[in-house]
Amino acid sequence: MKPLAWGIGLGILAGLAIMPFFVTSYIVTFTIQIFMWIALAGSWNLISGFTGYVSFGHVAFFGTGAYTAAILILKAGWPWFPAGLAGSVTAAALALIIGYPCLRLRGPYFAIAMLGLNEVVRALVSYFEDLTGGGSGISLPPILSLQPVYYAMGGVALAVFSLTYLIITSRFGLRLLSIREDELAAEVMGIPTARLKLYAFLLSAAGPGIAGGFYAWYASHIEPLGTFPLLTTITMIIMCLFGGKGTVLGPVVGASLLSIFQELVWARFLFVHQAIFGALIVGVVLLMPKGILGVLQERYRLPRTI
Amino acid sequence: MSNQSILEIRHVTKHFGGVTAVNDCSLALEPGRIFGLIGPNGSGKTTLFNLLNGIEPCDAGEIRFKGERIDGLPPHQIARRGMGRTFQIIRVFPEMNALENLLVVARGDWDAASRRALDLLAFVKLDRLKREYAGNLSYGQQKLLEFVRVLMTDPELILLDEPAAGINRTLLNDLLEAIRDLRAQGKTVFIVEHDMKVVMELSEKVFVLDHGEKIAEGPPGVIQADERVIEAYFGR
Repeated sequence: MKPLAWGIGLGILAGLAIMPFFVTSYIVTFTIQIFMWIALAGSWNLISGFTGYVSFGHVAFFGTGAYTAAILILKAGWPWFPAGLAGSVTAAALALIIGYPCLRLRGPYFAIAMLGLNEVVRALVSYFEDLTGGGSGISLPPILSLQPVYYAMGGVALAVFSLTYLIITSRFGLRLLSIREDELAAEVMGIPTARLKLYAFLLSAAGPGIAGGFYAWYASHIEPLGTFPLLTTITMIIMCLFGGKGTVLGPVVGASLLSIFQELVWARFLFVHQAIFGALIVGVVLLMPKGILGVLQERYRLPRTI
Repeated sequence: MSNQSILEIRHVTKHFGGVTAVNDCSLALEPGRIFGLIGPNGSGKTTLFNLLNGIEPCDAGEIRFKGERIDGLPPHQIARRGMGRTFQIIRVFPEMNALENLLVVARGDWDAASRRALDLLAFVKLDRLKREYAGNLSYGQQKLLEFVRVLMTDPELILLDEPAAGINRTLLNDLLEAIRDLRAQGKTVFIVEHDMKVVMELSEKVFVLDHGEKIAEGPPGVIQADERVIEAYFGR
């Protein structure tokens, strides 16, 4: 079973690695989107799927990374790649500042606080016009080729996926799950819940920070409304729930299937695609709240590490 | 006496709004023995446990564990100093399997922890269900799982909040045997239990709470004959 899984995984990776040389730029663009969603949904999974702390402001880390990269490229003359990576530093710093007080809040209070965080960050970005360009945003030179972005974004998706696997097979991951299951019992059993939650939160912010950084380069224009939309947070949540929260492959499956589904529906039913998409989400939440991977794990008694 | 106590509570008080849940309570536990804590419903037994392992802060008084003050420490630090507990209402990790429930609280070497976890599961006859989600186990099985989970952390003092509730007679005898076995290993056990037979059978010393105040302490035989205790339970 294990060699087979590795074989399939490496096969898919090899296929994705050579794909840009054989397909249209439409497919490459679309795959970049999927990579981005895998990174975002997978990062959300690290804090919300593992510890149960539902973050409704995760796009704040994406936006922070985007602005970090754009400012470093434009004002400091950094190349786009290190500028994108630097997005993880500012995103994690923001997570540290906000996580320390907010991770003491339980349940809906944490979710609401994170929602507020996103609005605060967006307002701050609009306010500091000299640095951020205010409401009109920052324009970067247009990209000449999609391929570097494809590999960079694919790298982020792969990194988040690998990190998830490493965490779930570790004692750290098991302890994060115990926080989701019963935080008080975990604490009383000697698990330092406050510290572990903060670590998970920092890790969950880093991925969106880098994805945001590369996105800024790729989009070549960012402005507050388009960079901090609540819809992005909601989409990553839905993708993670659809695939299976707290699993390794769940966010990958959820992000891929929903992206493809959305693209197909959007192309065929221009006017009702939102309604169809919404109905699908309601159906998933009602019929399989544990997501595709959750159902598979339960039915076939698969290990948690998939 | 205070130097020998593993746990010492001095003048501890806890209010919830206008209710005084624990009132100026003092007691001491000597190591290596089994102690009982009884009292009518609402007398403050569980609250006292919550104060001991830091779930709730004390309003007044101090708690010493192995000679050092622990009131004010977060629960996980108190746990790491060697105090473990089980809960009155089951608190296993439902969507983690039985084995994971034990492994997650283990410290130190992973392989040693795995062996110990399997031994403990076999001990409560749950080894065949090690891959089953804890939430799918029966009430009694979950209760036993929680009992062996606290043993995984190898505590010196174990607080058991109604360990016998909901456990059938056969399993109960195993459980009592296990508790006596802990004493034989030199551990200290502090039990809240409504089943008087269990408390009186196990404990070497029993403390009685009523309205948050300690009204009696002594060997089981003395406690059963104590007028204040009878009054607290049955009224005057």
